[in-house]
Amino acid sequence: MAETTTTELPKRYHDAVVKWRETFLPDYDFLIENWDRYFPRDPKFRLCAYRECGMPCSIECGEDQGKPKHQKVADMKPEVAHQLAAQIRAQASTEFGSIQQHQLTLARAQDEQEQAMVLRMMAEELRHGYQMLHLLQEDDWQPVTGASTDQMVEEILSMRTGSHVLGAFNIDFESFVDNIVFCALIDRVGKYQLSMQKISSYSPMAESMPQMLREEAFHLATGVVPLRRWVVKAAEGSPMITLEVIQKHLNKWVPRALEMFGDERGGSTNVKWGLKPMKNREAQDQYWREIGKVVHDLNMRYLRARLPQLELADAEAALARLESDGGSFQGVRAEELLRLPHREYFRRRGEPAFRMVGFDGETFESVEAYLGHLTRTLPDGYRATRDFLEFVEQMTAVARGDKKPEEAQRVMPQLRRVGGVCPCSRAVRWVADEAVELPGPAAG
Amino acid sequence: MPVVTASDLVVRSLSELDLDGIVRIAEKTRHRYQPDLWEDRVTFYLRRDPEGSVVAELDGDVVGFMLGDVRSGEFGLEEETGWIEVLGVDPAHGGLGVGKALGEAMLERFRQRGVRRVRTLVDASMPEVKGFFERLGFEADQMTPYVKRL
Repeated sequence: MAETTTTELPKRYHDAVVKWRETFLPDYDFLIENWDRYFPRDPKFRLCAYRECGMPCSIECGEDQGKPKHQKVADMKPEVAHQLAAQIRAQASTEFGSIQQHQLTLARAQDEQEQAMVLRMMAEELRHGYQMLHLLQEDDWQPVTGASTDQMVEEILSMRTGSHVLGAFNIDFESFVDNIVFCALIDRVGKYQLSMQKISSYSPMAESMPQMLREEAFHLATGVVPLRRWVVKAAEGSPMITLEVIQKHLNKWVPRALEMFGDERGGSTNVKWGLKPMKNREAQDQYWREIGKVVHDLNMRYLRARLPQLELADAEAALARLESDGGSFQGVRAEELLRLPHREYFRRRGEPAFRMVGFDGETFESVEAYLGHLTRTLPDGYRATRDFLEFVEQMTAVARGDKKPEEAQRVMPQLRRVGGVCPCSRAVRWVADEAVELPGPAAG
Repeated sequence: MPVVTASDLVVRSLSELDLDGIVRIAEKTRHRYQPDLWEDRVTFYLRRDPEGSVVAELDGDVVGFMLGDVRSGEFGLEEETGWIEVLGVDPAHGGLGVGKALGEAMLERFRQRGVRRVRTLVDASMPEVKGFFERLGFEADQMTPYVKRL
């Protein structure tokens, strides 16, 4: 690990983040006070920006490959700087957004250690958001975005579930299952984005990524390890969790995770400009294989809990057969096992948006039949959410020919918040009262 | 059957995706299926220092792992010390240099972090492990492990 430097934001911005934390992460003080109890021997958490020293100095991909990386926004072509600003804004939005989601159901955890892991992960996401604000504050972005640092920081800190840049961060959690599946699936997309941004042609962005990636490794474990233990509980017949519940949550989050990579046909501009090394489809393909391994490993953990007398080699052979041929093995049916939904299932962004593809890849002619299929394969609680209602409305409009898929895609899921619910969104407003117009999502 | 050489090995940082591979190797070598234990251990190393532990991969399968980290202040050792704490190699891939590749990668990572000393403990009843570390350049130290049975 190379050397890192640490910096704090200027006091006004630092204080704004602390104020935000007091509202959206009220258990932060508990975490700090109990750090040694849950994470003995681990370095203490610190709210600051880390920058890695000794990173590559030359642009690593694209049309300017081999040229020196940019140290300042002013050194970049305007269109590249514009795209980069959108990436930073989107990244910041996801970091702060995920905390707001996790907070909703953090208290519902059944296991104290799992809860502490999620709480630590939330604190680290706060630091990641802080890191992005540091990038915005440290350079002069006004010629690119038309907004001052104050305005950009305020806009980001004022976002709430329902107004974040990416769809996955606008969905309310319903139970602690969401917290865990989100870590396993959505944070994994975060890992891909951070890994890609690690080669950014803008040095400060690239140097911000290594520490975030280190922390992200723990966030993925925060999702995967509880899932591995839950499938064992399910195998033992626990009334607390079933594979069906986990499957429905995979169905809820996998489509949103795939969409976070951006449209499958896009991303070449990011590569051309040296901002990311992979196009959207390529990154999504890798992610798809990775979550396939997560599901396979969960099934292995389940099978061995169901059939503890099996030797390792027999279990591996049995699982391979169940996953490829179906059927059953010593009372374990293939249908019990977890599976990834089809890649085009329940999609509302990207190439397969609104195609009415079912869990197994089957297609539907009637929108009513398709929506019925979704209601059977998604978590019950999710069906009652604003997010699903929005999808139903757009899907119906597309199916009836009232809207083209590309028009429906542009409709951002919006939660209807009532006034006064969130005093904090005003608490950070020290400059502007109006929403600031900034560039669109970073998907590219 | 294709010939596999050490050059086909990929040594990289530990991730949570390696859990099944590690559990499998540990089961083969220790003859015990202990997923809970390895989930706790891998989580521990991931949250402390994910780049401080490494796995060896061959054709996408984990064939070896080495877990450790950098600490100071233990046993009166104030200097930053690299600790190698757990090592496992799939017996099906013995003789390929998996352990050597893991050890060299680990030492290089410690070196890059400015660590001057790397320590481990070896069970005297396992001469092959002792030989392994000696081939990596380790030598017996002044520190002696003590134990008291209760």
